[in-house]
Amino acid sequence: MTQAGYGLALLLFLAIPPIAHLFESIMIIHMHMQMPLLVISGFFIATFFQKRYPGFFEKWNEDGIPGILLFSIVFSYWMIPRTMDEALTVPAVEVFKFISLPFLCGVPLRDSWFKISLFVKKIVFATFTLLFFALGVLYIKAPVQLCNNYLLIDQLTLGWGFLTMAICFMIFIVYYVFTEKEAT
Amino acid sequence: MQAKKRHTIAVIVVLLFGFALFYIGTDGFTAYTAETARVNKLMAEKPQFPNVTFEDSNKRQYSMDEFAGKYVLATFIYTSCTTVCIDLEMNMSEVYDLLPKQMIGKDIQFLSISFDPEKDDPETLDTYKTMFPNADGDQWRMTRIQDPNELKQLLDEFGVIVIPDEYGNYAHNSAFYLIDPEGTLIEVMDYTKIEEAAQKIVQIVGDEKGDSL
Repeated sequence: MTQAGYGLALLLFLAIPPIAHLFESIMIIHMHMQMPLLVISGFFIATFFQKRYPGFFEKWNEDGIPGILLFSIVFSYWMIPRTMDEALTVPAVEVFKFISLPFLCGVPLRDSWFKISLFVKKIVFATFTLLFFALGVLYIKAPVQLCNNYLLIDQLTLGWGFLTMAICFMIFIVYYVFTEKEAT
Repeated sequence: MQAKKRHTIAVIVVLLFGFALFYIGTDGFTAYTAETARVNKLMAEKPQFPNVTFEDSNKRQYSMDEFAGKYVLATFIYTSCTTVCIDLEMNMSEVYDLLPKQMIGKDIQFLSISFDPEKDDPETLDTYKTMFPNADGDQWRMTRIQDPNELKQLLDEFGVIVIPDEYGNYAHNSAFYLIDPEGTLIEVMDYTKIEEAAQKIVQIVGDEKGDSL
């Protein structure tokens, strides 16, 4: 099976109602497993589109900037507390989640990441590190329940999940900075 | 077409899409949580209080007609709640203190509605009531709705989401609900902003009834 085939299989697997329900029943798994996996499925599926429509990506995403912007915007959109809630209560939003994360995040990420300069990569990485820190603090410190469909304790877990991710990003950044210096 | 021009167009299209996505997703940058969206929607729709039968801590049974001609300030609670309900009811009590004395009972009725009718029988409600000196059982009543269908209809109409957790507790969204004498929900207020809520009530009820502070 081709890479795109695996991606599609992953997407279809995640979309099986009981599987989707299982992932969505726990807040942190909804945001930190299901959503990234959907992006990953798109990341694999991207090869199909790249082969099929090479001209399109060549023309419209020449330097990767439009693609990485699209990825960042759509991915950030799914970090809003409300979108997570509505994915559970509004079927159209749920469908949009399963379309937007693979095809508007995963596909452009694959196409863009290898095109953008190191400088842009650094900016994207730093932005998401800061965003994750901010969201972690928001979910932990928020005095109220941000999502109606999840318990407060789930919200705290998610907040710490975000902080843990941000800390991992930071460790990577520190590692990168030091090894880069050694190399030069 | 020049590559540079195409690049600019692509970036603009993406940004416009992003703007539209966030604009639609947050109702024009006003609601970032489902709770805000819910309150905004309720205020726009102004649903009618459904026909339900209450049973209060004195075992009296009645419908909303009992409060005909009065505004009703309602909260949704369950008595075994150890966290937010107590804050909610304490704050309601503070609102009670802030309102002009002549308004209470005559123009406005305080009402706590339990969504856990199994545990919250009249005896339990009566005990719970003693925690709040202002809850006299008359001008401020603690009630339950026994009929599950009626309760569900009310919770649905007023957008109250109740999720049971694994310890027999419930997570739920909280607010003050102000219902006008015709049984229409007219205000959903932040229960943490006590003074703001009291002022709003005085303004609405006072305007209608000609009372002043």
